[in-house]
Amino acid sequence: MILRDAAPPFTREGPCVRSMLGWTLFALFILLVVPTVRYGPRPVTMACAAMLTCLLCELLANLLRTGRFFVTDPSPLVTGMVCVMLMPLNAPLWLPCAAGAFAILIAKAPFGPFGRTPFNPAAAGVAFTALCWPSLVFTYFDPSQPYVLPAFGPCVFREGQSAAAVLKDGLKPDILPLDLLWNPIAGPLASGLALVVAAGGLLLFLSGSAHWEPTAFFLGVTALLAALFPRIACSPLTSVKYELLSGSLLFCAVFMVSNPVCEPRSRTGRCIYGALAGALLMVFRYFGQYEQGAVFAVLAADAVSPLLSAAVEHLRGWEAKAHE
Amino acid sequence: MAGRGVKLEQDKKEILKRGIHELPAPESFAVPSRFPPVKGEPDPKRILRAAEAAGIRSETDGVPLRDLLRSLAEQKTTLLAARCFDDDPFAAGEQAVLRESPEKVADGLALAAQACGAEETLIAAASRAEVRLLSARKIPAAAVAAGNRSPADFFLLQSLRRSGKNAALLGAQACAALSDAVREGKPAVEAVVTVAGNAVSKPGNYRVRIGMPLSLLLEFCGADRRAQFVSVGTALGGHSVLNLNMPVGFSTRCITVLKKPPLRREFACVRCGRCTTACPVGVVPWLVHRELESGPPEPLLLFHVGECIGCRACSAVCPSGIDLAGEVRRAALTKEGGRSV
Repeated sequence: MILRDAAPPFTREGPCVRSMLGWTLFALFILLVVPTVRYGPRPVTMACAAMLTCLLCELLANLLRTGRFFVTDPSPLVTGMVCVMLMPLNAPLWLPCAAGAFAILIAKAPFGPFGRTPFNPAAAGVAFTALCWPSLVFTYFDPSQPYVLPAFGPCVFREGQSAAAVLKDGLKPDILPLDLLWNPIAGPLASGLALVVAAGGLLLFLSGSAHWEPTAFFLGVTALLAALFPRIACSPLTSVKYELLSGSLLFCAVFMVSNPVCEPRSRTGRCIYGALAGALLMVFRYFGQYEQGAVFAVLAADAVSPLLSAAVEHLRGWEAKAHE
Repeated sequence: MAGRGVKLEQDKKEILKRGIHELPAPESFAVPSRFPPVKGEPDPKRILRAAEAAGIRSETDGVPLRDLLRSLAEQKTTLLAARCFDDDPFAAGEQAVLRESPEKVADGLALAAQACGAEETLIAAASRAEVRLLSARKIPAAAVAAGNRSPADFFLLQSLRRSGKNAALLGAQACAALSDAVREGKPAVEAVVTVAGNAVSKPGNYRVRIGMPLSLLLEFCGADRRAQFVSVGTALGGHSVLNLNMPVGFSTRCITVLKKPPLRREFACVRCGRCTTACPVGVVPWLVHRELESGPPEPLLLFHVGECIGCRACSAVCPSGIDLAGEVRRAALTKEGGRSV
């Protein structure tokens, strides 16, 4: 026998980084199924283009940093998928690629390998494209028309207004709130898939790939603010349903706010982080220029995350005390 | 705040079903000769003498049983518990010994308690099913199920001490060996070792002669010659073996043979906090990791590191594969010396 050495422990319990990312990728892939069945192969080509761009950018970044051409983990694929989910299906193929490139090269690579990024890279990438090309990011095709969108090339379509945009104008959307759960609606790729997103969330929480506390507090605070300050003349419950199910709020709650890398390390900190992100999201929805503010809320909460960690550590006495 | 350890997936049902296999000693090994058993009612001195004559050692750390019982007496131990469980995913020797001869384990435990002055005894079994088995066999000893979160012996002692008892643990094999020594004059020349892993065709519990080379044992167990990794001890706290001429000892307990070594790729900390939840003594491993990573650590920030018991639960749960246990150990040295290591 030729034996090799290894350090203990020789077994482990719970998820590892690869399995956490694997489950996240799986949950994101599931989200592609329904749009592909409805509208043709374009969701798949967008996802492939974005993932490939992120992968190449990661290879480039590693080459510049270490001189070696390698990728250590599937996190660039996750970043690419998240960027695609927050884009409209009719967007040009280069748009999610631009978001992915910014996410990896600007928001992730300068801070080191996976696990060191202070900001959610996908949120940064989508925010970048929203600021540079808002008309492309917030223009949606009307799904009531029977479309099969081309896999490549530009889309020709009639514009539709998303439920989030109608709410922004202070009007009640035509669609019933519960129809937002599972029906084709104008909006980002992940909208109209609330049930699938919720199932994905359950998968991530049960597999230990994500924490449930930030998601729960994020949704709780947005629901509370929606009930207390409805943007349209309706009952509080109707306002909650419209706000939670419109736009990319639910997707962000499950796949972005629960990102363990950017969150505070303690449970208390994570709860505050989720609540803060939810409150900021509603502020951006009420007062912001864009109909979608989730990515900006996530970025702002990420910026505050180290402060939240430090505050919790201070309260628990985890700090250097004067040596007496 | 202390955490709750780590629950390791166990896969020992088949191994336990087959009982303990007796492995013949190599021909070059001398036949052990018996000594006169203790006649009449044994007293502490004669029990200790029998333990010394038999050469019994604790299977947990290899300490001679006579010395161990003497130190327990000095510490005024009031409750002695027999450690009849294995919270390791592979090792199953202690459970097997209890299942094979519960009367012997109970007798040995009673003798050991008498030798160290403990007033109470307790058999800590692996599960409630084994507690029921003891009750069905009318074993005259109190029994309790020791829980399934590692480090189970730490949590058991903690709960016993919280109820006001000065408790200590003694391995099931040491108890059985003491009973053999006192009642029959048998020397302790064998140990029950679990051989497990995906590169072994005959995994199981084996009673082997102390001093038998690992190579001989593995050959008997059908170890694959192409296996690349062999470890001795528990999955959390053992060590890898590079030379199979190493002999089986009292504290070997488990030999794991794997087709490939369990290599881990290390990632940056992903801030999941699982290490804090797992640490049974309240160390905050990710905080220690952060301090060590960011340059010479401030010793005042490395609190609780001196209390680390080396269970490696933090390393076992870390999704990033960071050797947190090693870092806590380094931090403890730093704090002790007041300097960076």
